[in-house]
Amino acid sequence: MLISLNELKKLVDIKIPDDELFSLIGSRLVEIESVDDWTKKFHKIYIVKVLSCEGIEGTHLHLCKIDAGQDLNSEIDPEHSDYIQVVCGAPNVKTGMFAAWIAPGAVVPATAGTSEPFEISARKLRGYMSYGMLAGADELGLGDDHSGIVELDPTSLKPGALLSDALDLNDKIIEVENKSLTHRPDCFGIYGFAREVAGILGQEFKEPLASIGEPLKDFLSSHSSTAPDFSINLLDRSICPAYEALVFDFSTLPARKTPYLAPDDIFLFKSGMRPISPLVDATNLIMLKTGQPLHAFDYDKFLAVGSKTSAPEISVRLARNGEKLTLLDGREITLERTDIVICSGDTPVALAGAMGGKSTEIDASTKKIIVEIASFSLYNLRKTQMSHGIFSEAITRFTKGRPATDLAPATDLSIQSFAALGGKFSGAVFEDAPEPLENSPIRVSIPETNSLLGSNYSKDLIIKTLKNVNIRVESSSENTLEVFPPVWRTDLHIKEDVIEEVGRLLGYDNLPLSFPTRPLTCAKIDPLLSLKSRVRSILSDRLGFNELLTYSFVSRKLFEKADSSPEDAYEIVNSISPELELFRPSLVPTLVEKTYENLRAGHKDFTLYEINQVSKKSFGLNEENVPNLKTCLSVVSLRDFYFIKSVILELKKSLGLDLVLKSAPRSAFENSPFEPLRSLEIYLTSGSDEILLGRLGELKSSVKKSFKLSEVCSALEISLEPLILVKNPKSSAPLKISLSKFPFVSRDLTFRVSEDTPFAAVESALISALSEDKDLVFNLTPTSIYKKPVSSTKNLSFHLDLTNKTKTLNSAEISAIIEDITARLSALGAELV
Amino acid sequence: MSKLDELKAELKSLGKEYAKIKTLRESERKAFGEALNAKKARILSAIKNSENEADSSALAPIDLTAPFAENSSPLPASKGTKHPLTTELDLVAEIYRNMGFTIIESRQLDDEFHMFESLNFPEGHPARDGYDTFRTREGFIPPAHTSTMQYRALTRFRSDLDNYGQIAVVIPGRVFRNEDVDVTHEHTFYQCEGIFVSKSATLGQLLATWKNFFETYYGQKLNIKTQPGFFPFTEPSLEFQIEKPAALGGKGDDWLEMGGCGMIHPNVLKTAGIDPDVYKGFAWGGGIDRLVMLKYGISDVRYFESGKLDFLKEF
Repeated sequence: MLISLNELKKLVDIKIPDDELFSLIGSRLVEIESVDDWTKKFHKIYIVKVLSCEGIEGTHLHLCKIDAGQDLNSEIDPEHSDYIQVVCGAPNVKTGMFAAWIAPGAVVPATAGTSEPFEISARKLRGYMSYGMLAGADELGLGDDHSGIVELDPTSLKPGALLSDALDLNDKIIEVENKSLTHRPDCFGIYGFAREVAGILGQEFKEPLASIGEPLKDFLSSHSSTAPDFSINLLDRSICPAYEALVFDFSTLPARKTPYLAPDDIFLFKSGMRPISPLVDATNLIMLKTGQPLHAFDYDKFLAVGSKTSAPEISVRLARNGEKLTLLDGREITLERTDIVICSGDTPVALAGAMGGKSTEIDASTKKIIVEIASFSLYNLRKTQMSHGIFSEAITRFTKGRPATDLAPATDLSIQSFAALGGKFSGAVFEDAPEPLENSPIRVSIPETNSLLGSNYSKDLIIKTLKNVNIRVESSSENTLEVFPPVWRTDLHIKEDVIEEVGRLLGYDNLPLSFPTRPLTCAKIDPLLSLKSRVRSILSDRLGFNELLTYSFVSRKLFEKADSSPEDAYEIVNSISPELELFRPSLVPTLVEKTYENLRAGHKDFTLYEINQVSKKSFGLNEENVPNLKTCLSVVSLRDFYFIKSVILELKKSLGLDLVLKSAPRSAFENSPFEPLRSLEIYLTSGSDEILLGRLGELKSSVKKSFKLSEVCSALEISLEPLILVKNPKSSAPLKISLSKFPFVSRDLTFRVSEDTPFAAVESALISALSEDKDLVFNLTPTSIYKKPVSSTKNLSFHLDLTNKTKTLNSAEISAIIEDITARLSALGAELV
Repeated sequence: MSKLDELKAELKSLGKEYAKIKTLRESERKAFGEALNAKKARILSAIKNSENEADSSALAPIDLTAPFAENSSPLPASKGTKHPLTTELDLVAEIYRNMGFTIIESRQLDDEFHMFESLNFPEGHPARDGYDTFRTREGFIPPAHTSTMQYRALTRFRSDLDNYGQIAVVIPGRVFRNEDVDVTHEHTFYQCEGIFVSKSATLGQLLATWKNFFETYYGQKLNIKTQPGFFPFTEPSLEFQIEKPAALGGKGDDWLEMGGCGMIHPNVLKTAGIDPDVYKGFAWGGGIDRLVMLKYGISDVRYFESGKLDFLKEF
């Protein structure tokens, strides 16, 4: 929304410098997005009279003599002392007209402040010297009319005067951020905005309209004796709580007052609008002042649409399925069932709050008009705005929720404005809001106010602050106030709303800062956050992997490429694109894709991982009836099964987890990217339970192919939540190494077994043999698995560190242990090499 | 005779000088002894330097500017990286934990109740549209703000009010908005939210608390300023700005918008089963991505979720 500083200054006595005012508005009312400083824009632009005007043969140009006042005439054009010569190409230039002249050396206002400011000079055109230029409205930055030059009112202006002085252009235009005024419909008119500015300056606001806050009934009864003969039928008060129709008779419709630029036109330009016709301009000006949008219908057309000859019937209802309406802009739209329509009889003639209809448009033959002042449901209008893409100044205001009980000011201004245009007010009909005019009072205590804000404001200051913005306050007891929200304040309901007003108007930045006191108890540690942090350290710092964060939304295609069915995934119905259609049930497909992309970008030998939340429908809902989520760790590497297995073994060891890896039938890896013959399931042992954490393994050939990966590729994915539920992780067990004060001895052992003997069978047999003597302490580390190409056996080598809790082992004892082990392993067909 | 030999001879001669001490009067001995000790220390230090110099000159010269030795290969470099956003989230969480806040993470799929209703957004209110939420076919919402956790945090830690007189929770997490992506806008980003409830919470405390966080985070005193804002779940509602810190090139005349805050609306407390006549609270929240972008001079927010190692290896 654009606000003219000069208009504000007409309504509020502002004594502080402009910049200080802007920063106060920013900190106490609304964010200022920008300030357009017009005071520098119209430098050296003057009002001139065209003394003569002759066509230059063979061109569309005119050679003009202009009068810019005695001083300028003699200063600018050295060849002539009583006029200035200008060549002008506009078709409407004529002798005797008053125009705006940009002197040589001045910058064209529309280009001022842009990257290419255009400076006017004195130069020769078609052999004639031309000093400066006569300006069109678009060049002055006042609208976009470039059909000709601006014509100014000769009755009130003097040649040689500065244009900016004559047209009130020495202004600053403030653009405020609408979003933070969402709850303040009253601030969308200059009167309401000015009231707040007075409030933040600590001044009492003098209302420009005496009718403010007056019940409509009372106001109308003192302004009109007769009510026009027609009816208003509000079929649903929840969509339209109040509606007023005023009737004005025009013997002749006022003609466009242009080409003269009038003060009202300038006000429209400053507000980001432009003059259209006297009637439309009048309704727009009333809206800009009061915040209440209006609409005008042609009375006779309105009657005709409703097949009536007298007594129009206005009804307001929701649109019906498939109903159509042709709007003022010529567009035929199919109405939605949430659209509110204004009907003549039962025929829609306007899309409420958004745009009028073609069938009741005012034109040159209009003799009588109906002016609508109403309040509509902001919920419906918001939908209308979205579904029909209408973002006018009017609907912007309506969607902030125009109060149903604040129709008097716009009515007041309508009667004044249309009368000034020659309209005879012949009365109004209205259906008022059923609720009482003044909301019930809000009780607020002074201590409550200060304790919520952390302030120490006096009762008098609080009362004065609220009264400055015309909020009625009564002091019901020493410490308590009764606050009566005015009809235009739809945002004041509870005491906190009132306290906000006090804090805001007096400035939050003035509040004393203090810290909450707290008991010296520790903040609780979230075990999942700690675990994630530890896992990241292990993977990034120790193993040298790269952590990614990627979108939670993925495409169907990505999942199909990973041989995973997307059926179980939550589907985003309003996704930005098909690429982001599903909430991902697994991180692996994304990581495989990122692996491919990074390979293509020239990276080599890297391992990617991500820790993030996943979900799918089969996870079910939790006790809050929202989807169960899992926090997953996924790793994708360009190495084989054994590498990815080593990752899980590293996590197992570092985190002290009781993990078990198991092979699983083919069916367990269906609908997954894992190759069944080269994958394992990962279980967590918790007491007597085994919880499935996830899977690891190499990817299926088909998956690698669809991701264009020729390299071997392996992955793992586990959910982390179960890990924090295990009460006694192994990490709390004492370290073996500290258990013996006797030295370790080392032996390297190699066993020859048949090629199909599983490694784990040999290893677990070794461990169980070594564990039998409770005094033995040992570490067993596999060192090699060797198989000759054409052999039916393989050699498994281990490094064994051995000691005893009670004594130093001698070589005879060690040999006996080895012999014992070897004997036991012979049951597996293993022989010591 | 080398310099080292000279020094050693000098050291040896000190023995004779020490012997002189016996010839002195009692009152002169202390000063004499101290002077001699100092001399000895000087000589010993000079001998040490001289020996070190001799060792050094025996070494072959190397090029200190080279990254590795002649005739050798580059040294193995650490390849592992953590994502800058998770690193920053950890840092932010650590600061808040030190201030006494419990950290819980936000969830990535939620519903209307937590996202809007429990936060005093009237049903069908246009303010709900302002969040540009995504929706699943079932009507679940990938949350558009971490405030989606407020009701949970208030109810989960409600008993803290009886035990410790307050609720102090900070909630970092990933949030989603259905908006067009460009260098400063992402549909997926991170926020961090804080809530504090006690019998004596004030707006002044809110401003002091958030200010203190940023002062700790940036390691300097900072000026703050506010703007009135509008959020259905706080009353009053404010926008919070800090002076641009020196670490980011701030000279005191520039402001950074850090997010929204306010006193928790009584309806939000009531919905969570906390009596708003007894307890008051404040809440605040802002983006994390921007903190990281400012810190490292990252120009395009889209790098974060790109999975590009070219970007990630910078951290």
